[in-house]
Amino acid sequence: MEEKTKDEKLKKEEEVVEEVGGGELEKVQKERDEYLEGWKRAKADFLNYQKDERKRLAEAANYSREAVLADLLAVLDSVEMALAAVASSKDDAMKKGVEMIQLQLLDALKRHNLEKIKVSTGDNFDPNFHESIGEQEDKSMEPGKISAVVSSGYTINGKVVRPTRVKLAK
Amino acid sequence: MAKILGIDLGTTNSAMAIMEASGARVLENTEGNRTTPSIVALSKSGERLVGLVAKRQAVTNPHNTISSVKRFIGRKFTDEEVQHDKKVLSYEIKEAANNGVEVKMGDKQYKPEEISAMVLAKMKADAEAQLGEKIEEAIITVPAYFDDSQRQATKNAGEIAGLKVKRILNEPTAAALAYGLNKKTNEQIVVYDFGGGTFDVSVLEVGDDTVEVKSTGGDTHLGGDDFDKAIIDYLVSEYKKQEGTDISKDPLALQRLREAAEKAKHELSTAMETEINLPYISSDASGPKHFLMKLTRAKLEELVGDYIDKSIKLTLQAVKDAGFKPEDIDEVVLVGGQTRMPAIQAAVKKAFGKEPHKGINPDEVVAVGAAIQAGIIQGDVKDVLLLDVTPLSLGIETLGGVFTRLIEKNTTIPTAKSQVFSTAADSQTTVEIHVLQGEREMAADNKTLAKFILDGVPPAPRGVPQVEVTFDIDANGILNVSAKEKASGKTQSVRVEASSSLSKEEVEKLKNEAKAHEAEDKKKRELVELKNTAESTVYMAEKSLKDAGDKVPEDIKKAVTEKVEAVKAVKDGADPEAIKKSLGELSQELQKIGQYMYSQNDKSQSSNDQSNPNEGKPESENGEKNKN
Repeated sequence: MEEKTKDEKLKKEEEVVEEVGGGELEKVQKERDEYLEGWKRAKADFLNYQKDERKRLAEAANYSREAVLADLLAVLDSVEMALAAVASSKDDAMKKGVEMIQLQLLDALKRHNLEKIKVSTGDNFDPNFHESIGEQEDKSMEPGKISAVVSSGYTINGKVVRPTRVKLAK
Repeated sequence: MAKILGIDLGTTNSAMAIMEASGARVLENTEGNRTTPSIVALSKSGERLVGLVAKRQAVTNPHNTISSVKRFIGRKFTDEEVQHDKKVLSYEIKEAANNGVEVKMGDKQYKPEEISAMVLAKMKADAEAQLGEKIEEAIITVPAYFDDSQRQATKNAGEIAGLKVKRILNEPTAAALAYGLNKKTNEQIVVYDFGGGTFDVSVLEVGDDTVEVKSTGGDTHLGGDDFDKAIIDYLVSEYKKQEGTDISKDPLALQRLREAAEKAKHELSTAMETEINLPYISSDASGPKHFLMKLTRAKLEELVGDYIDKSIKLTLQAVKDAGFKPEDIDEVVLVGGQTRMPAIQAAVKKAFGKEPHKGINPDEVVAVGAAIQAGIIQGDVKDVLLLDVTPLSLGIETLGGVFTRLIEKNTTIPTAKSQVFSTAADSQTTVEIHVLQGEREMAADNKTLAKFILDGVPPAPRGVPQVEVTFDIDANGILNVSAKEKASGKTQSVRVEASSSLSKEEVEKLKNEAKAHEAEDKKKRELVELKNTAESTVYMAEKSLKDAGDKVPEDIKKAVTEKVEAVKAVKDGADPEAIKKSLGELSQELQKIGQYMYSQNDKSQSSNDQSNPNEGKPESENGEKNKN
């Protein structure tokens, strides 16, 4: 059945060929090639678009998560400041409590791939992860090394959302 | 074909975009950001840094961190601006042999274009990484006031970076292009560009295929950074008043305050009030101190009001210089992140008496325009194949007079969509397909395109037959609707010349009508759907009772029957809450039948023990309902 229709079609086409002149045929064939090319291109464009779209969706999801996590960094900072402030306090339970809040927050953020950038004094300064906000006299190390960590930096999925702010030895 | 990159090479930040089939797309750099700081540095370890990483070490390496080099590109050392800027620079500049400017970074002297080239080279490399293909050509934008020498130097910067510069494009022209204003004729356009560090205003005249710069103005040292500074100064002085402590001396406190001020500024573009909350900002003998302050939009506007007034004055001056009056201006375009501020938008609107263009991200609009120019040059916007869209939604009427859309409005044609519907009554042998066009929720409010009947549906309980309805619109807008009963293979179809029958005005009118009735239509539709659910649940319940027969104790049966009656009593009413309530109670009772049968006999073959009221919403006499 399928075969038959095809044959019929071919026959019809041949008839058409006979009817139109040679120049006409060439024009039609050229048009056909153009259309086929355009169709293939459109189809390819669409398939590629679908692939890109999936990638972009994933990126968008990541991006919105990063935005939320980045907003929480200010809270983490405050907890760090609180810890520093209660360090001298005699109230051990209070100290412990703040420490636990910090851990809780860090744990929650870690589940979403937020990691604190590890820095110790004496490390080399690396602007890929650190931001220098000042210098201070420090005889204990070479100039240019990290002499103090001012505020913590974080990465999400390996991407720096905020660099560690440091002071360098002068 | 290799793509041409559109680059907005800014004083403080740069952005880039590329033309794709679907429009201009802003490209992210390797750090994942859509803008790149125009900063280059030579680190203390002798490494060359570009962009964000250069910015991060600027404080401790000021002499070898070069920012805002755009201020010097193509200028003579003796230029007044250069002499002015020289005083506030953290790095060294001197006069070059050709009377130009030379910048010192490390032990070497660089021309400003060489520094800009480093930024451009990073952008080129990042774009290549994003796209996975080589970039060889670019369009770079410059301020409209740039002279020939500044333009040439910018072009050279591109060439040094390994880019063939196809064109140097004016920034305001790029912004106008991004909004498609180049297609207008004989219009006067004002481009108001309030960036981070500079304020530029340009007056353009669009003729036939040409964009002419009629005048420029602005202030090279007025920008969003001044706004941030005003906020910080205010907060510091308020805190001093409250607590007696000057936190501006503490770098960490200042850092936190700076971030909070910027965030507050952004928030006040959408909110009327924001809170700046910084615990443990400082401490003294009495212990730690906290920073908690409210900032209102009104206060912010008061703090920066002078800057806004100044920008409007400069804008009106530029209009005057161009030989126009404010009322001669046809279009106003906003560029630069600071123009997100409502007070600026309002001030501009007031000055010209018209709403400015602001839909495109103002940080990216220039790069987008550059990419569009690239597309024009490339000619890859080959619109031989113009595809139309359906102006209104198309669908059929279903149970309860609801309009069920098969093809949503603005779908590009040709296209085809199908959906399977079913019957609403037992032993129903015909279904009527009522084809409609419109945006209203109820069928009666939309326009009938055709009606036809599919008969010969084999008698079966409601919800069992499967009727597949297909809408197919060809490239000429001709709609073919067919309905096929899946068991018998019986098919009926109709052909409608749909979209051609409505004028643009009619389409607009219908859309507006739909908008006006949106809420009321939605309520109506929800009520009908609820009623449909009620009916199908009652049907299921009655069927379950019948199938269960004696296997279920009388008390359960009686309870179900009572609930069924309760639903029947309210289902035709207008109170959705009453229907929902009685429906919920019925569903709960119904489950008891299933539970009982399971507990009695595991071998039970009954398949009617679970009833889902959300499934199989069948139909009344003239409609069909989605089953899937």
